[in-house]
Amino acid sequence: MNQALTPAHAAEYLYREAHLLDRQRFDEWVDLYTGDAVYWIPAWKSEHQPTENPETELSLVYCASRNALVDRVWRLTSNLSVASMPLARTAHAVSNVIVEQAGDDTMDLRSSWTSHVYNPKYKSQHVYFGSYEHRLRRVDEGWKIARKKITLMNDFIPTVLDLYMV
Amino acid sequence: MSKKDIASLVDDRPEDGVFRLHRSVFSDPEIFEMEMKYIFERNWVFLGLDSQVPHPHDYMTTTVGRHPVVVMRDGEGNLNAFINSCPHKGAKLCHLAQGNRKIHVCQYHSWSFDSAGRIRGLKFKDDGQYSPAFDDDSHDLAALPRFEVYRGFMFGALSADVLPLSEYLGEARTFIDIAVDTSPRGLELVPGVVGFTFEGNWKLQLENCSDQYHFTSTHPSYLKVLDRRAEKGWEGTVRANVRGRGGRKAMQFPADGLEHIAGGSTSFEHGHNLNWNRRTVNDSHPLFERAEELKERFGEARRDWMFNTRNLTLFPNVQVAENASSQLRIIRPISVDKTEMLTYCIAPVGESAAARAQRIRQYEDFFNPSGLATPDDTINYEDCQDGHLNPVAPWLQGHARGMMLAGPDGDPFIDRLGVKALSSVIGGVELGDETIFHTYYRSWRALLQAGQRADEAAARSQPAPVSARLVETVR
Repeated sequence: MNQALTPAHAAEYLYREAHLLDRQRFDEWVDLYTGDAVYWIPAWKSEHQPTENPETELSLVYCASRNALVDRVWRLTSNLSVASMPLARTAHAVSNVIVEQAGDDTMDLRSSWTSHVYNPKYKSQHVYFGSYEHRLRRVDEGWKIARKKITLMNDFIPTVLDLYMV
Repeated sequence: MSKKDIASLVDDRPEDGVFRLHRSVFSDPEIFEMEMKYIFERNWVFLGLDSQVPHPHDYMTTTVGRHPVVVMRDGEGNLNAFINSCPHKGAKLCHLAQGNRKIHVCQYHSWSFDSAGRIRGLKFKDDGQYSPAFDDDSHDLAALPRFEVYRGFMFGALSADVLPLSEYLGEARTFIDIAVDTSPRGLELVPGVVGFTFEGNWKLQLENCSDQYHFTSTHPSYLKVLDRRAEKGWEGTVRANVRGRGGRKAMQFPADGLEHIAGGSTSFEHGHNLNWNRRTVNDSHPLFERAEELKERFGEARRDWMFNTRNLTLFPNVQVAENASSQLRIIRPISVDKTEMLTYCIAPVGESAAARAQRIRQYEDFFNPSGLATPDDTINYEDCQDGHLNPVAPWLQGHARGMMLAGPDGDPFIDRLGVKALSSVIGGVELGDETIFHTYYRSWRALLQAGQRADEAAARSQPAPVSARLVETVR
């Protein structure tokens, strides 16, 4: 029996992830990830080319475990980071979801995203946008994210970029 | 021409123990215009590393002040810097951050230039009915009046009237040497550039790099994350060569009477400075794998300096920050309250794959605008900028710590390098010296005043404006 998620369910999985970020339910968001999850936002090395190898090239964010994400999420709500007080308000839109590969235990998805970010302190706003590549993996509790690569198209950053903004 | 009284904005009275800065230094658009004209466009400005253009015909684009510049390596391997604007109509000639081209063809009217900046083709020249006067002009790209390289660090100036680069950098060169000597093959930029802006004056960035006092106040979340990682022994997270982390034992210094010294700050002429912290030679630093080799080559004192954290500013626009990792940052002022930063991970050529990966992870953690520390700095700059229009209490109180210690002598750590400082301060973790900023503003004041004087002299030697002459004629 093929137990892969249907394309519609796979897309909804991505919407739910975005929803948790927008609602700032960060602990639940982190729980979507496997312990060995890789979360990666490459930098760009030229006008046309994002970096490809995180061991030899720079990334904007490279987290090689869920623990690294737990730390980042802890910081956001620690009241010890002036860049996170107050938190920005965000609204993600995920679209153009393509199922690249669907197996019983893994699924690879591609999608496009935009994220509107509003900074209530300075009443300023910005739109980040790019593409996602998700690898979902089946575990006992259901499907989790084993890998997420975020290609940020507008990588010239107005002051701050944090995980919940992209 | 500005008549602004620059001296009145820097209350600099060492004999009275006073150094105060007027907030308008950060917020007055007229001052910003003067800074562009008299500092960035009449003084040495950092352009990049020569390892960004390693091969014949490589080029990279940048800016000097408000002007586009391209650095090119010609077919013989010589480096030159030009205004990146076609002499014909002014169109930008090189459009990408970097590339390789033997011939640069202007996309507007196809004038073409070789990688030495010489005109190689002027479209339909023979049919152009040009006058002999046109033929008498050079049609080559306009070279920057001054361009020099010190150990791979490329600098240019839009004025020929500047000191030789070696004199301009002066004693600060030793700290370029220490960085470059960490590899027999010099330094390179790790692929991947990170650019960001902040809504604040460029000098806020200049100061923050030299500011030890802010560290524990601005970055507690970063420090706490390091503690959490150490406590939990988490795999897949990053360790860092940062104060107090890695255990007290890791920072045990020999009992030589100086063991209480945590670090200090050193100022040089022409606005350059260094703030630094002592570190032991330990394995949280990617250089650790070569610690013995570096000791043999350069001696223990110099090797130990390679492991110290060092934040070097070469006035006005480049900082080499070697603390949690190693960063080259280029400061580009956009307006009085907006600054653009170009940032790179800078690394010794040929370090092991493991050391390089460790350096990159530490870098992303601390330095990126998407990391755990820099956003807390840049938001602070924006908060400062917000308050810098305040007319009620215009004199800042942030340049006074260390006043009772600062002087040209008495720094044994600097002495070990044979460096002669303009002023030096050493002390414990809590010192947080602020006299390090003085050299910025003394050079800043000198350059702005020199610019004003030069403009006044030029105005005097020119004929009176047309309107005045018309009045004369009518009389």
